Amino acid sequence: MPSFVSSPIWRVAFALLTKSTLRHWGQAKGSYLLIIAIVALGVGSLNGIRQASRAATANFGLFNEAISGRSDFLIEAPAGPIRETQLPGLAPLSRQPDWHLLPVIEGPFTQVSADGEPQRLLRLIGLDLVAVANLPTFIDREFAFGQAESRWNDWVGAAPRVWISSSLAADSGLKVGDSLRGAVGGRMHELEVAGMLGDADNPVPEDLLIADLPAAQAILTRVGEIDRIEAVVNDRAARQSPARMAEIEDRVRALLPEGLVFRAAAERIAERADMTAAFRLNLTILSLIAILVGAYLILQALDTAVVRRRAELATLKSLGVGQRALFLTLMLESLLIGTLGSILGLGVGVLLASGAVHLLADTVNALYFATSVEAIRMSGVDIATGLAVGIGFSLFAGLLPARDAMFTPPAQILSRGDWSPGFVWLRRPWTGLALVGAGLLCLLLPPLPLAGGARLPLGGFLAAGCGIIGAALLSGQTLVWIARACQRVAVGAATKLALSRLADGSSRHRLAVAGLVVAVAMVTGMVQMVGSFRVSIERWFDVRFQAELYVSERTAGGASAVNGIAPEVLQAVTTGPAVTFADTLYISPVGAPSGRTYLGGVDLGAWSGRVAQIWIKDPGALAPAADAQPAFISETFARRFDLMEGGKITLATPTGSRDVTPIGIYADYGNEFGSAVIAAEVWKQWIQADRAINTSLYLQPGTDANVVRDALRLRFPGLEIRNAQELRTLALGIFEQTFRVTSALNGIGLTVAIVGLALGLFSLFAESAGTWATLRRIGFPAKSFALTAGVEGAGIALAAWLSGTFVGLCLGWLLIYVINVQSFGWTLVWHLPVGAFLGLGASLVVFGFLAGALTGAWHRRGLS
Amino acid sequence: MTTTATRSAPEPNDPPDGTTGALAVNQLRKSYGAVEVLHGVDLDVQPGERVALMGPSGSGKSTLLNCICGIEPADAGQILISGADLTKMNAAELERTRRESIGYVFQSFHLLPTLTARENVEFPGQLIGLAARERRERAGALLDQVGMSHRAEHLPDALSGGERQRVALARAVMNSPRLVLADEPTGSLDSVIGDQVLELLQTISDELNIALLLVTHDTDCARICHRTVRLHDGRIAKPD
Repeated sequence: MPSFVSSPIWRVAFALLTKSTLRHWGQAKGSYLLIIAIVALGVGSLNGIRQASRAATANFGLFNEAISGRSDFLIEAPAGPIRETQLPGLAPLSRQPDWHLLPVIEGPFTQVSADGEPQRLLRLIGLDLVAVANLPTFIDREFAFGQAESRWNDWVGAAPRVWISSSLAADSGLKVGDSLRGAVGGRMHELEVAGMLGDADNPVPEDLLIADLPAAQAILTRVGEIDRIEAVVNDRAARQSPARMAEIEDRVRALLPEGLVFRAAAERIAERADMTAAFRLNLTILSLIAILVGAYLILQALDTAVVRRRAELATLKSLGVGQRALFLTLMLESLLIGTLGSILGLGVGVLLASGAVHLLADTVNALYFATSVEAIRMSGVDIATGLAVGIGFSLFAGLLPARDAMFTPPAQILSRGDWSPGFVWLRRPWTGLALVGAGLLCLLLPPLPLAGGARLPLGGFLAAGCGIIGAALLSGQTLVWIARACQRVAVGAATKLALSRLADGSSRHRLAVAGLVVAVAMVTGMVQMVGSFRVSIERWFDVRFQAELYVSERTAGGASAVNGIAPEVLQAVTTGPAVTFADTLYISPVGAPSGRTYLGGVDLGAWSGRVAQIWIKDPGALAPAADAQPAFISETFARRFDLMEGGKITLATPTGSRDVTPIGIYADYGNEFGSAVIAAEVWKQWIQADRAINTSLYLQPGTDANVVRDALRLRFPGLEIRNAQELRTLALGIFEQTFRVTSALNGIGLTVAIVGLALGLFSLFAESAGTWATLRRIGFPAKSFALTAGVEGAGIALAAWLSGTFVGLCLGWLLIYVINVQSFGWTLVWHLPVGAFLGLGASLVVFGFLAGALTGAWHRRGLS
Repeated sequence: MTTTATRSAPEPNDPPDGTTGALAVNQLRKSYGAVEVLHGVDLDVQPGERVALMGPSGSGKSTLLNCICGIEPADAGQILISGADLTKMNAAELERTRRESIGYVFQSFHLLPTLTARENVEFPGQLIGLAARERRERAGALLDQVGMSHRAEHLPDALSGGERQRVALARAVMNSPRLVLADEPTGSLDSVIGDQVLELLQTISDELNIALLLVTHDTDCARICHRTVRLHDGRIAKPD
């Protein structure tokens, strides 16, 4: 035990903790369990979201890893797939004894039920199974698949056969020899189950589907292509030696043919992690807000405890207990609350993560890339983070009450009644003004570039944090102004008494207002942002989606989990008699100067006329640069690459570096990495692909779109065909799903703040026990008692709502015009849900009145 | 038995003469803003001596008591507790003096509500780092002395007013202070119980040779004291 613990201050603090604090806990078990539960919920939210987002995004990596073991290096094309014509150049590499080369192709395969409904998204991995079976890492795994090695000639070149995970087999009731039905690229496939992979000792991802390379190429209609070549070092001991690995890396690089790039396998994982960095960061910030509001609640609860123990603290002071010992005792209490709450929160986090993981995986699927869920795991970093955040915030929350306790005067002075409350600084505006000023200065900070091309609006977040807390500290003055204005027209002793107390604006009144202001501002700001986003998307839909039918590949995943529509299928769909025009979109990820972006191919002429867009810069408004391909670019693309006023950008495509120049800028809320679209024919040349991601069908006037839709659905069961309304419902569903976590955290924040108000009222009335006792002795009726307390509660709620709404409007502006623009590069239409604001205000005032009246009545019963 | 501001004639209870007084207040001045509350107060209390401090409301009794126990700083003058000058001490030294050299008895008891009677008495000993065994033995003896052994494990809520004040008395002398300050110790008690408490105060003061400064409005309370000092408008009144 450290020596300082035996010092007099620590000795006294420990004695007080065991003999006083813990006994108070014993007397008010419910209250303290609630405080611990609040910490647990805060830590649980943070850790749950961390674990869920990790589990939801972790399985994007190399799906064949479960079979072949971890690869060491990857050989890829700079953009797009590797062509088989490039493979002869790899011959010198393949002749080396130190490593195995493993060509891989992968794509989505949507399992379809007997009645044609998509069931689940599987990942089809095509591997050279002979090469896999010879891998040293594979032999260790002892998969049944390896035992079939001697009969490999039975299945090479045979009908498509796949190995599925044991868990998928169990879930789907599939046995060896059964048929697995699914859709790829708009076409239906029947695959024979050749075997099962994995068991309890050697688990493989549930959504893994392994096929021989040629079979997978055929299923994915990508004959002649592979996605990458993985290199596995044979000497596994060499992996532990950085020098040996560097030597091997140098040799691989030296033998690498032109047109292919080399990188460590870990870089690919990191790149995908970078893609979701902003998404995960936003979730983390939201969960931190939840725990910050929780800290306020702890502050209120500890403050209530300090006020209720005031006489005891005063006695301790009289007996010679020093300020520092009292401060230490209160901080030890906070530490205990934080520790217990954090430990509990680690468990809560796992539960929340289990509940949220599928929600987040769906969002990642819809917005970023195909992923699947893996088991929730709590790492050492999770435990450390949870404990650090829970304990840190609890100590932070305990600071003010501990400071207040420290300045409690001895009993001789307290009993004289001339002691003023400890949060005196709250009555002075300087801290609030300084924070608001700092927030304004933070607005000048540029966004912080993240790896992968995302940007973090650090200045915006700091400005929001400083502004909200600063304005909350200043908002107590609103209470004083409202009360003074009402005093002139107040009638009745109870109301006048309540207003006089509010007009006095004690520190505790101001603290109660400040806490509620933070919650109201946060909720008001977020409601505006979500509402504005929804209105913007609806407006975009109204303008952009004028076609009658929308055709895409049928998948169980989101927009990113597509292989593309096979050209012959597309041809058949778009040349039907009812179709007058098809707006077909081809799209591919390409390299950009920072991170990656998307390059699309469309009919540029149609986009300039028939296909409606919300144009930020009309077609032709920007002068094209010479020697570059004309392109329409999304607003996000324009802001990200500083092309709002035109210019030129070089993109890395499978056929080399290509320059594009914007000739118009359109609104697009589809992805945060931006996209540029060029003429479809040029896109096909550059990308060396011909599979469209979707097509919009414009039908002959008078055609019943639903009849055409149904006919197409019958003819092409592997395609998803929706009318405009169905597409809108789907898109808004994805939107709602994306913001579900935000809404949940908003709800938690508001609930916590309202409970905080109730606790704040407890403190207020406990501190005024003398006044209440006097009133009771002079015959103040119970009803008047409740009315006085109720008016105080309602006054605090009203002041908090007015101030919070003002702060929330500023926050809404900040979110829409700074944070959103810097993060995602798109402009939203600012929408003010006035009805929701008024509803929130009315609810708060009513709740404030009821909370005040009930708390007051409770205190009155306790008076002697 | 008592006189006003004069030492009583030597009697069995008279304080022994000592070279260092338990309390010496010299020319103490204290103001609140522009209003001077104490105008150069002089007061000596010898070890084992009991002094009643009387005076009307607003005469400065509470202020004088607060200055003597170091809760309120004096503007001028000296306060010596067993020779140590409070006016020269910093906050930590004042706290230590309150812990080690002064016992305080309140009108409204101020027992710590979560501690049993025994723990309340033990608590000052814990503050000065007294060994657990010594603490227990001394607290037990004091509770026995004030007739509260049978209620030692009860919480303050379960005790009557008189019982609480007995426990408070035991707590005040736990650390063997040279001086006990008692502020209207019988003010919250009925006369019978109040008399018992006063007798206890006298007994403890005699047996432990502790000086007592008793602030009271009640002339009857002053009967246990060797002398009475009257405070009027912030000055010690001259003896009649």
